[in-house]
Amino acid sequence: MRPLLALAALSFGLASAQTPGVLTIRFLDVGQGDAVLVTSPEGKSLLYDGGRSETRMQVLLKKYGVQSLDLIVASHGDADHITGLIPAVTLFKPKFFLNNGIAATTQTWSRLTQAAQQAGTQGLLARNQVINLGSVKVTVLPPPPGMPRDEQNVNSVGLLVQYGTFRLLMTGDSETPETQAWLKTYPASFLGPVDVYKSIHHGAANGDHLAWLQAVRPRNVVIGVGENNYGHPTAQALDLYKRMGAAIYRTDLNGTVTVTVQPGGKYAIAVERGPAVPKAATPATPPVSSPTRPTPATPLYRSCAEARAAGAAPLRRGQPGYNPALDRDGDGTACE
Amino acid sequence: MPPETPEPVLTGLLTVDAIEGGLARVELEDGSVEDWPLASLPRGVQEGDVLRLHVEAGDLTVEIDHAATRERRHTAQAQLDALNVVPPAGEIDL
Repeated sequence: MRPLLALAALSFGLASAQTPGVLTIRFLDVGQGDAVLVTSPEGKSLLYDGGRSETRMQVLLKKYGVQSLDLIVASHGDADHITGLIPAVTLFKPKFFLNNGIAATTQTWSRLTQAAQQAGTQGLLARNQVINLGSVKVTVLPPPPGMPRDEQNVNSVGLLVQYGTFRLLMTGDSETPETQAWLKTYPASFLGPVDVYKSIHHGAANGDHLAWLQAVRPRNVVIGVGENNYGHPTAQALDLYKRMGAAIYRTDLNGTVTVTVQPGGKYAIAVERGPAVPKAATPATPPVSSPTRPTPATPLYRSCAEARAAGAAPLRRGQPGYNPALDRDGDGTACE
Repeated sequence: MPPETPEPVLTGLLTVDAIEGGLARVELEDGSVEDWPLASLPRGVQEGDVLRLHVEAGDLTVEIDHAATRERRHTAQAQLDALNVVPPAGEIDL
């Protein structure tokens, strides 16, 4: 059996199990839309967007053995991102619903907020904040001030997910005005490099652009895309990703794309089906999407004062900069 | 001779979910979503607009229902604001 097929078979075999001790990220094959399921080593889960079909999401939640959800996130209010959140919130009654604070006028949006209300799920208006999904650090990138409130895409909520040295960045359907504002808000060292990056807006022409990607420096790009009338993903976006030397995964060709991250940050990427994905060709950086990828150096804080000054405290085991010497009670959290 | 049965007049509402290039993704009254050519919708239509359809004698007219749009925005925003009340301070541990 060829290695890729073996990998795919392995992926099917483990479909309904959460591998203990690792962070699992699934870019779900929801057709044209986005839905990303993130499960921490402790079994805490978040669903970032839900795709455009309630039925399909129910099937996928069952297929991947989801037992609970702690947080759902609507990057923005478009139907191809929020529809599947309705059964998710109804079934699992997550504690929080993170959103951009701008209501859509569709019935789909109204049903989602009603379902959240009935489930007792608390809304969270996106702001500069950190949400700890167990030992996984999730940093919220709220829409920058000044974005027009009548345009959902440019008010997309982003998430930076960190576990050890591993970094995942997702920014919904944001467009150039929003990413330009984020470039002014965040230092390049915050935005990139990232090991895995969710393509903006399914590879639309108005999403990713060179200046943004030069800051993000994605090693692997996953495009949530299905049959569509919009021309997604565009040749323009695909060319940009290739220019960045990133390996490209597509849910329309590869099915659900699963990333497993070991403590420390080493990761592997498995596809459900489809052609082999060539490794990223960046001569200046180490190979990507390899389970044996070397772990880059992490900032190691010498004191809690230093960690606090950097805005990094408290530090949990598995997060960049965690230093066991500062974890005096050995409970996995330093500089409490 | 009995009077001729008048042709039914069809009406309905659409909601513009998103505009993608030359297409508008619209939500029908049954909640399903379709892509319509933007050119078939009123000039100046925007995301979130509620559109009123009117079919009479085989002719389709579509117009923006500004009052319905305002009402939908107001109601939906109130629902969301109620949900988003009392944000927890500091980091959130799940």
